Amino acid sequence: MWLVLLPCAALVLYPVLFIVSESLNVGEPGVFPPEAISLANFAGLKDDATIIGHTLFVAIAATAMAVIFGFALAWILTRTNIPGGNRFERLMELPYYMTPLVGAMAWGVLAGPKTGLLNQIWHLLVGPEDLFNIYSAWGIAWVMALFEGTVAFVMISAAMKSMDPSLEESARVLGGGKLRTALGITLPLVAPGVLSAIVFVFAEMLGAFAAAFVLGIPGRYYVVTTAIWESTQEFPPNYGRAAALGLSLFIAMTVTLSIARLIMRKGSYATITGKAFRPRPINVGAMRWLYLAFVLFYLLVAVILPIGALLMTSFQKFATVVLPDSIFTLENYRVALSTGTLGSAFVNSLILGISVATIGVLVMGVLTWIVYRSRLPGRTAIEYVLMFPQAVPRLVFGLGLLWAWINIPIPIYGTLWLLGIAYFTVFLPLGLRTLAGVVLQVDRSLEECACVCGAGWLHRMRTVSLPLLRPGIAAAWLLIFIASIRELGASLFLMSPQSKVVSPAIINAWLSSSSELSAAMAMILTATIFVAVIVLFGVARTFTRAEA
Amino acid sequence: MSDTACIEVAGLCVAYGDTVAVDRIAFSIQQGELATLLGPSGCGKTTTLRAIAGLEDPTTGLIRLNGDSVYDSALRVNVPAEKRGLSMVFQSYAIWPHMTVAENVAYGLKVRRRPRAEIDKEVRRALDLVQMSGFADRPASKLSGGQQQRVAVARAVAFSPSVLLFDEPLSNLDAKLRAEMRVELRELQQRLGITSVYVTHDQEEALAISDHVIVMNKGRIEQIDAPEALYNRPASLFVADFVGAANLIEGKVRQTGLVSVFETQGGQFLRVATPQGASGSETKVALRSAYIVLQADPSGAENANFATGTIHRRMFHGDFIQYVVDWPAGQLMVRRPPTEMIAEGALVSIMFSPEHCVLLSG
Repeated sequence: MWLVLLPCAALVLYPVLFIVSESLNVGEPGVFPPEAISLANFAGLKDDATIIGHTLFVAIAATAMAVIFGFALAWILTRTNIPGGNRFERLMELPYYMTPLVGAMAWGVLAGPKTGLLNQIWHLLVGPEDLFNIYSAWGIAWVMALFEGTVAFVMISAAMKSMDPSLEESARVLGGGKLRTALGITLPLVAPGVLSAIVFVFAEMLGAFAAAFVLGIPGRYYVVTTAIWESTQEFPPNYGRAAALGLSLFIAMTVTLSIARLIMRKGSYATITGKAFRPRPINVGAMRWLYLAFVLFYLLVAVILPIGALLMTSFQKFATVVLPDSIFTLENYRVALSTGTLGSAFVNSLILGISVATIGVLVMGVLTWIVYRSRLPGRTAIEYVLMFPQAVPRLVFGLGLLWAWINIPIPIYGTLWLLGIAYFTVFLPLGLRTLAGVVLQVDRSLEECACVCGAGWLHRMRTVSLPLLRPGIAAAWLLIFIASIRELGASLFLMSPQSKVVSPAIINAWLSSSSELSAAMAMILTATIFVAVIVLFGVARTFTRAEA
Repeated sequence: MSDTACIEVAGLCVAYGDTVAVDRIAFSIQQGELATLLGPSGCGKTTTLRAIAGLEDPTTGLIRLNGDSVYDSALRVNVPAEKRGLSMVFQSYAIWPHMTVAENVAYGLKVRRRPRAEIDKEVRRALDLVQMSGFADRPASKLSGGQQQRVAVARAVAFSPSVLLFDEPLSNLDAKLRAEMRVELRELQQRLGITSVYVTHDQEEALAISDHVIVMNKGRIEQIDAPEALYNRPASLFVADFVGAANLIEGKVRQTGLVSVFETQGGQFLRVATPQGASGSETKVALRSAYIVLQADPSGAENANFATGTIHRRMFHGDFIQYVVDWPAGQLMVRRPPTEMIAEGALVSIMFSPEHCVLLSG
């Protein structure tokens, strides 16, 4: 047991040690242990007040938009009788799977100054002024809200679904009107869930990177994550500043996430159980067409427009909405898939995705069993350590891994091995959470009964546990696979010319070559992820059917 | 301990950290007997059962099955659950949803590598026993609660275990089905002659199906007795209160002997049969509400305790009538057959025999 636990704990904690050490290092950068130690790097952060201001502005604006969207959509889809009903629910998750990177590029194509497709239409119809400029603070926040904010919808609708409808019904029976019930009963009961969702989303926004990178760098609008990237790219690299910024960001995120968890724990009432209810939908009459329009508007800006724009651009020689002027070509896809640019990165990402998911599910399965089924003393502490990467921004974690592995005399830097190890470590919380949900759904007595019937451990696993867990394990595999394919933050620092992966390669193309070519690359990535997502939804459906 | 004891438990303790769930309990169950562990939730009955099954690790103590130690803290013996050769019916039934009914029932036989023909025969026999023969090829996920319960029992007996454990097997069924299954389980157990341990919090169920009832409270055993003895002569206040419907009348012992005299707080004198004698320090008399006779015309009887009272409330339950009677010592709960209807507010004479009074302290 300890053979599995200790290496995993080391994987998580070792890189963090290096970030701490580097943030205090004022001697030769990258040397461990540091030659000289002081708090100078942290003192230097006062020069970064503008960047911190930018970060807070973008995070607050993005959180506000994400929560407004998330709350409205969650309420409409779980509580009202709009046409189409819960068929929309799954579609709401699509922006998350599309990734903020692809979303940011798509909106760059849509609403970039002068050449943006929406601006082009505006020029044709109205006048020479631009309608939008997505390369701005509001633009970054908008893209973050759409593509990182999906979690707000998921958390808030979970809070709304976990409320026993009889709590509302009894208020109505006792004579409370619709509005009185909504304000006096519904709101206080869902408030902790909503509040903790807001704080959680805010923490995510603080650590968000892709949108700020794609849309902020051209206009030199920096937030903390992009500033960390920038200081490592300077010559000589300013590792001290990067580490100090990273550590501060990590602390800010940890504190915020703890607040979110505290609100959830202290504020939630005993009546709200883990059970999912399907609350009776409220008849909203003619208003339901307005609500439907709102849902469709969200799907338009978060899914249809971005994918449409990328698709159109990827088949054109020069992106334009004036179709008669456009020259359609498959050249972008040919270039994208040719070995020099994306081809090798694509193959590498697939290799990584498949192997990390396979090994990950095996090892994380054992870890899940230890944490949630065994009686090992200290398993709560183990859970805490394994969930740790959740609070560390990917980018910062990647930096820590870079320093950690450069200082180890095992020559894996610059190879796929390092990326594989990094992916495994940062996806520990994802895998653990998914598998725990699966393990906890299977009643313990099903295994105990096999035991009493005389079946040994191996036989039990083969005939009872594994068959029951199979759909959940498949879902966990797919989730880790998707997460690996789209990974950006940690990969940025760890990939080398010999070990390219997709997301950073797309970013490089976006910064150095045409938007038409990067659109084609983004489409290939998106298509791969969507195939995996469709399989995932299929697996999830059979799983819920087997339970019923 | 006796030679024919099939299950022996001695000095058994189970603790989780600082909480002691089972505290030094001891009992033995004879071959072919059905013994019930009865008590409120959290009393340690399920923990005890799971310790016998090997699903729970005790802290200290001894468990023997058919004379062999399966757990012995002194000798560091702890046979894993799958090697103990006993069987169990779980509260949740634990029917494997990914198998058919027949596959569920065959599991214990397949694990034991019995020949194909024997497995088929035993599965058919077990399903016949629970009247589920028609369901053999049905997916187990498509069964009702009652059917799952039957399959769980068939699976538990299919490989002819020597000991069968029941963990509140009927608690998820509705009242009518529960009463039916109670009869079926008892008949099945007697026909197969399987030594059984049955856990329940339902005292009626425990009294109805057991040879012996082991009453537990807060991790300890309060009393082990046959159902009639438990009902008629509860050894403690807890048992009197938990098993059956009893009146607990407070007061003082005034005179001890084969028949003692007890003065209630209302100044009423009761005659209490105490064949084993009484210490004189007892403060309560337990009196089953079913043993009290009410008569609309007051007239005394020899040897009986006699008082007059007023019907305060009458509740018709169908199979019986529950009366609340005001009498000098407070209120009495009285249970009479539905043929004995007396109007609320009527004066009645109350009679009960000294043999039905039990002196208790505490």
